[in-house]
Amino acid sequence: MKKTIIIRYAELFLKGKNRGFFERAFEKNIEMALTGISHKLIKQCGRYLVVDFEEFEIEEILTRLKKVFGIHTMSVAYETDANMDAIFETAKIVCRQSGTFKVVSHRGDKKFPMTSVEISRELGGRLLSVYHDLKVDVHEPDFSVFVDIREGGKALVFGEFVEGANGMPVGTAGKGLLLISGGIDSPVAGYMMAKRGMNVDCLHFHSYPYTNMQAKEKVIDLAKTLAQYSCGTHLCTVSVTHIQEEIHKKCRPELMITLLRRFMFRIAERHAKRIGAQCLITGESLGQVASQTIEGITSSNSVIEELPVLRPLIGFDKNEIIDKSVKMGAYEISILPYEDCCTVFLPDFPATRPKLKDILREEAKLDVEGLIQTAFESMDKLVF
Amino acid sequence: MIYLDNAATTKPNENAIRRAEEYLREKFYNPSAMYTEGYALQGELKKARSILLSSIASETDFEIIFTSCGTESDNHAVFSMAKRGNAVTTSGEHSAVYACFVELKNRGVIEARYAPLNKDGSVNEEKLLELVDAKTSFVSVIHVNNETGAINDVNRLARLVKAKNPRVIFHSDGVQAFGKIPFKLAKEVDLYSISAHKIGGLKGVGALIKRKTLTISPLLYGGGQESGRRSGTENVFGIMQFAFSAQEKFASFKEDFTRLKEYRRLLTDGLDKSVYTVLSGENASPYVTSISAVGLRGEILLHMVNDKGLIVGTGSACSSNAKNRYSRVILACGFDEKTADGVLRVSFCEKTTEDEVRAAVDILNELGRELKARME
Repeated sequence: MKKTIIIRYAELFLKGKNRGFFERAFEKNIEMALTGISHKLIKQCGRYLVVDFEEFEIEEILTRLKKVFGIHTMSVAYETDANMDAIFETAKIVCRQSGTFKVVSHRGDKKFPMTSVEISRELGGRLLSVYHDLKVDVHEPDFSVFVDIREGGKALVFGEFVEGANGMPVGTAGKGLLLISGGIDSPVAGYMMAKRGMNVDCLHFHSYPYTNMQAKEKVIDLAKTLAQYSCGTHLCTVSVTHIQEEIHKKCRPELMITLLRRFMFRIAERHAKRIGAQCLITGESLGQVASQTIEGITSSNSVIEELPVLRPLIGFDKNEIIDKSVKMGAYEISILPYEDCCTVFLPDFPATRPKLKDILREEAKLDVEGLIQTAFESMDKLVF
Repeated sequence: MIYLDNAATTKPNENAIRRAEEYLREKFYNPSAMYTEGYALQGELKKARSILLSSIASETDFEIIFTSCGTESDNHAVFSMAKRGNAVTTSGEHSAVYACFVELKNRGVIEARYAPLNKDGSVNEEKLLELVDAKTSFVSVIHVNNETGAINDVNRLARLVKAKNPRVIFHSDGVQAFGKIPFKLAKEVDLYSISAHKIGGLKGVGALIKRKTLTISPLLYGGGQESGRRSGTENVFGIMQFAFSAQEKFASFKEDFTRLKEYRRLLTDGLDKSVYTVLSGENASPYVTSISAVGLRGEILLHMVNDKGLIVGTGSACSSNAKNRYSRVILACGFDEKTADGVLRVSFCEKTTEDEVRAAVDILNELGRELKARME
C-alpha cells in the first residue's frame, strides 16, 4: 500500500508576513536533506507531504528529516481511497489489537459525505467489532488512529508521530562563524545556533606538526556531523603553530592560553567579516576550564572590535552538553583521543584570573599583526 | 621520499606481483570447486605452502594454516590454546597477543602472567621461567620485538619451558622475524605466526605455522578450508604473491642481515647524541631500531621529518589520554615517560640503501636540533 510522510512544522506559523521567506528556506532544507532519494515534496495547508518514494527508503528519509530544523513532528501514513470500507481496511493495519484507543478524524475535503465526528464514530465501531480486546478512551488512550480525508478522493491513515528536531529553518537567522575544536562543546554550540535558523560556518585552529592528521580528520568529521543539521557548512583551518612558538619564546608561560585565545578571536573576527558572518559562536561554558572564567572570557572578548560573540552553552553543565552532543551524533567523534590544540606548550598552571594589564604587557612583546597575517596564509578551506 | 617504516609495512614486491598476477586474472577460480580449473589451484596452494614452510621449518614436522593477517594468526593461537590454568607471555608482546591475554583474563578463562623485559626489550628469561608452573597451559613469546627489534631466542625458551612443564603449548609471534632473522623452528615451538606484508607481501595475508601433531580448534567455522582449521575461501593471489615474495626474500636474507647491520651502525653512530638516545640493544634485529629524542615528542618530529621527505614510525600515538600516550613496551623496558614520549622507530627493508640511511640521519639530526631549539 502506498505510503506518504506527513511533515508538520514547528514555529513557522508565528511568522506572519515573513511566512513565505521561512517556508522557502524550509522547503529548500528538506530537499537538500533528501538529496539522492527519489521523492516529491508537496505543500499542503499547514504541512508538507513527501510522496512517490520507494518504500525501503522510509527509514532513511525519516533519519534525514529528523535533522532538519523547523520540523515539529512527522508521520508515516498509508494512502487509501476515501471511502469507509477502504479506510477501515487500512486502519486495521495501523490499529493495535488490544488496549485503549480513539479515532481522530480530519476532513480536508468538505465534500466527503460524513463529518469528522461521524467518521471517527463509524471507524471506531468497526475496529471494536474486529479487535475484541480494544476499548475506547477518548481522554487518555494508549494510542490513536488518525484519519485524514484529502481532496481528490484519497485518505491518509496513520498511528504514530515521530518527533522532529524543532527549531527554525536554517537560513532564516543570518550567518555565524563557529570556532570549532575537536572537543565536545563547540559542535554542540554550532548545533544550537543552527537550531535557531542560523547558517553556521566553521573555523578551526591547529598546531601542525605539534598536532596530528588524525586530529584534523576528527574536526572534519565533526564539521560533517554539524553540516547534517546546518544544511552544509564551510570549514576553514588555520595554523597557529608559529603564534604558540612566539608566545612560548617571549611571554610568561601561564598566559599562553589567554594570549593564544586573543589571537584566535582576532583571526576569527576578521575571517567572519570576510565571509559575511554576522557573529562568532563559541562553545564556552562559564568556569569549565581556566580560560572560561569570566576573567578569561573578558580578556579574549576584549580584542573583538565589532561582532557579537554568541555563547549558547554558557550556562550549561558539562553533562547537559554531553547529552546534546550524544543526541546530535557528535559525541563518539569528540571523545576520540587526539589532541586538537597542542598541549606541548601548555603550562602546568594556566592563569585562571588573568589581569588585562599583564596581558597587554606580554602581548606588546609580539608582532601581533605579522603573526595574524602569517596565520591567514596557512588557511585551508573545505566545503561540506 | 625515503621510507623507513618497514616494520609497519613494506612495499609489495613487484616481481612477486607479476608472477602471481595470473591467479588474479586467469586462475580466479575457487580452489574448493570440483571442476578442474578450481581443483588445480589446490596444487598451486600446496606449492606456496611448501615454499613458505620449508624456508623456516621442517615440512615433516610442521604445517601451515593460511589466515588473513598476523593478528588473526596470533588470536587463533591464543584463543585456541590458552584455555585453562595460567598462561604466560611477556610485557613486550605486540597487542595482537597482549590484548588476547587481557581478554581471556577478563573472561575469567585464564590467569594471565606477564614476564618483565630487559632494557633492550627482550624478555627476562629467568623471570619468564619462574612464571611457568604445573598449571601453565600456554606460553607466548614474541620472536622479534616490533618496537625495539630485540630478538628472543624462542627455540631455546621453548625447550626450557617444556623442560619445566612438557604439557605447555608454546607460541611465538614471528611477524617481524620471518624472512629477516636467520632461523629454523625447533620442534618445541608448537605455533608460529607470520605475516605477508612485512616482507613484500600484501596486507590481508598471514599464516599460522603449526606442529603437525598438535590439534587446534578453529577460530572461524564454515566451508572447512585449511583442513577445517580456518574456513573461508583462500586468497589465492595473496598467498601466491606471499610465497613468491618470501622466496626472493629468503634467497638473500643472510646478506641482507649483514648489510643492514652495517646500515644500522651508520644510523646509530650518525645520530646527534645531544638529541637522540638509541634504545635498541646491540644485538637487536638490524631491521628495527628504536631511538628517542628524550624530552621532545616523537610524533612532532615524525611530522617534521615527514614534511622533509622522510617517513619513520613512532612508538606512541599522540593521545590526550595519558594512560595510552606512551608505548607500553618502551615503558616495560624500564624507560621513563620522557624517553617514551620521544620515541621514533626507524625500520629498514632489504631495499633500503646506504644513501637513504645517510640522508635520513641528516634529516633526523637537522630537525631534532631544530625542534629542541624551538622547545627551549
